[in-house]
Amino acid sequence: MKKKNAAALMAAAMAASLLVGCGGAASSEATSAAESKPAESTAESTAADTTADGDETLTVWAWDPNFNIYALKQAEAIYQKDHPNFKLNIEENVYSDIETKLITAATSEDYSTLPDLFLMQDYSYHKMVANFPGIYTDLTDSGLDWDKFSGGKLADSTVDGHHYGLPFDNGASVMAVRSDMIEKAGLTVDDFKDLTWSEFEEKAQKVVDANGVPMLTSSGGSELIIEMMQSAGASPVVDGEVKIADNAALKESLTVYKDMVDKGILAEYTDWDQYIASMNDGKAAGVINGCWIMSSVQAAADQSGKWAIVNMPKLDGIDGATNYANCGGASWAVSSNCKNTELAFDFLKSTFGSSVELYDDLLPNAGAISSYLPAAESDVYNQPSEFYGGQTVYKDIVNFAGQVPAFDCGAYYSDVRSALTDAVTNIVQNNADIDSEMQNAQDTVEFNIAG
Amino acid sequence: MKRKGLNMEQKRNLTGWAFLLPAALLIFVFCFYPMVQALILSFQKGTGSAVQPAGFANYARILKDATFQQCLFNTIFYFVIQVPIMLILALILAQLLNSPDIKGKGIYRTMIFLPCATSLVSYSMIFKSLFANDGLVNRVLSTVGIPTVDWFQNAWAARWVIVIALVWRWTGYNMVFYLAGLQNIDYSIYEAARIDGASPLQQFVHLTIPLLKPTILLTAIMSTSGTLQLFDESVNLTAGGPGKATMTLTHYIYNISFVETPKFNYAAALSVFILVVVAVLSAIQMKVGDKRD
Amino acid sequence: MTKGKKILAHAVLILASFLSVFPLYYMLCGATNTSIDVVRGKLIPGTYLVENFKSLVANQNLGLAMANSFRNAILMTLITLLVCSIAGYGFEIYHDKAKDALMSVLLLAMMLPFVAIMIPLFKMMSHWGLVNSWAAFVLPSISTPFMIMLFRQASRSFPNDIIEAARLDGLSEIGIFFRMFVPIMRSTYGAAMTVTFMNAWNSYLWPKIVFQSNASITMPMLVANLKSGYSVDYGMLMLGVLICTLPTAIIFLCLQKSFANGITGAVK
Repeated sequence: MKKKNAAALMAAAMAASLLVGCGGAASSEATSAAESKPAESTAESTAADTTADGDETLTVWAWDPNFNIYALKQAEAIYQKDHPNFKLNIEENVYSDIETKLITAATSEDYSTLPDLFLMQDYSYHKMVANFPGIYTDLTDSGLDWDKFSGGKLADSTVDGHHYGLPFDNGASVMAVRSDMIEKAGLTVDDFKDLTWSEFEEKAQKVVDANGVPMLTSSGGSELIIEMMQSAGASPVVDGEVKIADNAALKESLTVYKDMVDKGILAEYTDWDQYIASMNDGKAAGVINGCWIMSSVQAAADQSGKWAIVNMPKLDGIDGATNYANCGGASWAVSSNCKNTELAFDFLKSTFGSSVELYDDLLPNAGAISSYLPAAESDVYNQPSEFYGGQTVYKDIVNFAGQVPAFDCGAYYSDVRSALTDAVTNIVQNNADIDSEMQNAQDTVEFNIAG
Repeated sequence: MKRKGLNMEQKRNLTGWAFLLPAALLIFVFCFYPMVQALILSFQKGTGSAVQPAGFANYARILKDATFQQCLFNTIFYFVIQVPIMLILALILAQLLNSPDIKGKGIYRTMIFLPCATSLVSYSMIFKSLFANDGLVNRVLSTVGIPTVDWFQNAWAARWVIVIALVWRWTGYNMVFYLAGLQNIDYSIYEAARIDGASPLQQFVHLTIPLLKPTILLTAIMSTSGTLQLFDESVNLTAGGPGKATMTLTHYIYNISFVETPKFNYAAALSVFILVVVAVLSAIQMKVGDKRD
Repeated sequence: MTKGKKILAHAVLILASFLSVFPLYYMLCGATNTSIDVVRGKLIPGTYLVENFKSLVANQNLGLAMANSFRNAILMTLITLLVCSIAGYGFEIYHDKAKDALMSVLLLAMMLPFVAIMIPLFKMMSHWGLVNSWAAFVLPSISTPFMIMLFRQASRSFPNDIIEAARLDGLSEIGIFFRMFVPIMRSTYGAAMTVTFMNAWNSYLWPKIVFQSNASITMPMLVANLKSGYSVDYGMLMLGVLICTLPTAIIFLCLQKSFANGITGAVK
């Protein structure tokens, strides 16, 4: 306490010395300092209010106004029906900034800047909980009904049997393809369902030849490779041990990927905007990614009716290979700074944890595909989508999501992704040897973990 | 000065200290104190309540870290190639804009300054689209008959994109300082030199550069610091790729603190290491450039 | 200057200007086109400006971000110029070995990657209870070695005769600074102001860390938000970027006269 006062005194003295030294300009600074005060005190008072009885405001961090922030607003409206005084204070933050803010707060052990609730990408849960457990409120005994979510999705936000996140959106991988381009090659969309990669390459080659564009566009890096690995359930980290160098599924994925690049079946765009443009511009006949990519595909309204959604190909000759994977998706967390956990739990329980009504709204209006299992039985999910030529895409995606194999990166997803990106780059660009690149990636991740 | 009483001298000396004290104090409190914290951190392991002494383990790790070596190499490359190109261009442009018989200087000045006012988002977007595989640059190259380049997939090409982007963005910025510096030089010196038959190049080398020496030192130090702090371009333009071929040191330190498995102690050790190297570098710059002659 | 040389000079300047302005044109095209046209690289201005503006205003609190950014940047610029210019003057005019050494030490602060000291700095602010306050945002950025150095270098060309004459006239040391140095050094102040304003305007990471609330959103944060969604409206983004760029460009436009017609006329 004494230290604190001394420091404050010092700061005050410094501020004073600034003011004294500068005559005319000083007055403007003084008033401005005074002006900035009200803003601070209101911020403080809202924080204080949350703790007081009667006030029912929760602060939330999320990042997409058309997606998860829209979802929050709908959830708020639903909860307000029974709780007229309830209010959500939604703070928009870029996702990487959310992590940076969480980490800065946690290492300083000052959690006062944290909101009550925040949305976090599933791939980060294990890393964050393992390194900064102080950020979270354990949700295990919050009364949420965990059985209503698929085990695979829950695993992402469950650490040592404790739940830290309530699943939000679904990230099931889809292969979006241009039906018109496929037909031009004398094939049908059905020909692209339930394939292995070798069958896929054969058919894709025809599409490439007929249209003069690659079959697939890729955002470079290792996103697709990780999805391919996952489709065979081949975790790169098992019980904290790195399994990259001897990962047969990874080797097969890298081999197929390289082969497709060489044959012109797959085009790499290292830049995200160019990657999106390649779909919208008709520079590729398809793309594989988490189902959230569909909103970018749909941005080209003039291509309505020319797209279809199928599952991704599966790896040849690998045990446990499937046509299903997952990329992205997020879950709601309650922070340790949440003063009114009762309210937070009840809000989550009544909205994202049980409200089919909410998810029915989110599907058509935000394109958010639910990971709450009962929601998928709702009628909305059976509706055909005009953009995809009348296909019942949402039903199909929910169906895909149910078949995604379990996959584990431990707390090291980012390390694995970064190391594999290096490997893919070297293999594709410099024709590097696949085995030695896999060994390098293994060494890099081990080096990182040993930090 | 020597004739003045000691008392007066002391008084002025004290006034000088009083003038610079607030600024110096702020830097000590908000920069050096955290730096000392980082230094302490670099000799420890773990964070929060689980802190253990680690001796030089974090420093030993630097020697084994291939990614760090790659990033160090990238940063040095940017420093050695980009800084001289940019400063020389800025000097030439400033010189041109300083001559009295060029019309429309205000418009030129503003236009050339604009890049650094441009927000990072748009600047990285346009460079990405210009250097895309089917972007404007490649289209121009193929029209002229030069083979196109996979700018962002090839390590050296990607590094050059960063250099070009940096030169584009910061040349106008440096030019502003040179212009401000040139204003302090009486133009009649140039008139005299011209009458003596000095060529424009001779004027540039023998007049402009020596007279602008304080400003050049300033921009050199600024660019050294800028290169070390280089982060935005690496993150937004190339995402450090392909692989880690364009990643800068600051980007790497950010990654190991906030993106990958967090290693704050190691990040601190890297920062201290960089600081020591740079301390030597800037000591040399100051020794060479800060003479009062 | 001969005619040939003049043409050459103009050619160089026109080329440099064209290259420099092109991205602004790109932004302008983007801001007036639909998202899909921007993605497809349309380089002709469109007619979608009003719609983009409407969705921008509906999507983000543009007025608040503008007001915050202006308040932050203007106050920061005023305080910084004052603190740093007087320090730079102090370092040069009263220079001795100790002060030169101190200057070299201060320069080190420029070389430190900010991400390395961010966490200790945050800890400090948290310890003082300053997190979420304007002081936490502003204190670490007021005094920069670069600005001190800029004014120190500029003071080197400040004629000693003026100081001596002013002292004989009985002006105090601080009086000399405010009445002689500040007016004469207009060009340096102009350059310094532009640069400080630009830095303050564009600062992103630190304000993002110390402020919790959306009430302190600034223009760069707003622009970042526009790009953070799963599908980006590029037309709206480009308009946001354009609006974020304009103030710095305008400030430069206004101030550039001061460092074009600066000291030469004033001194002799």
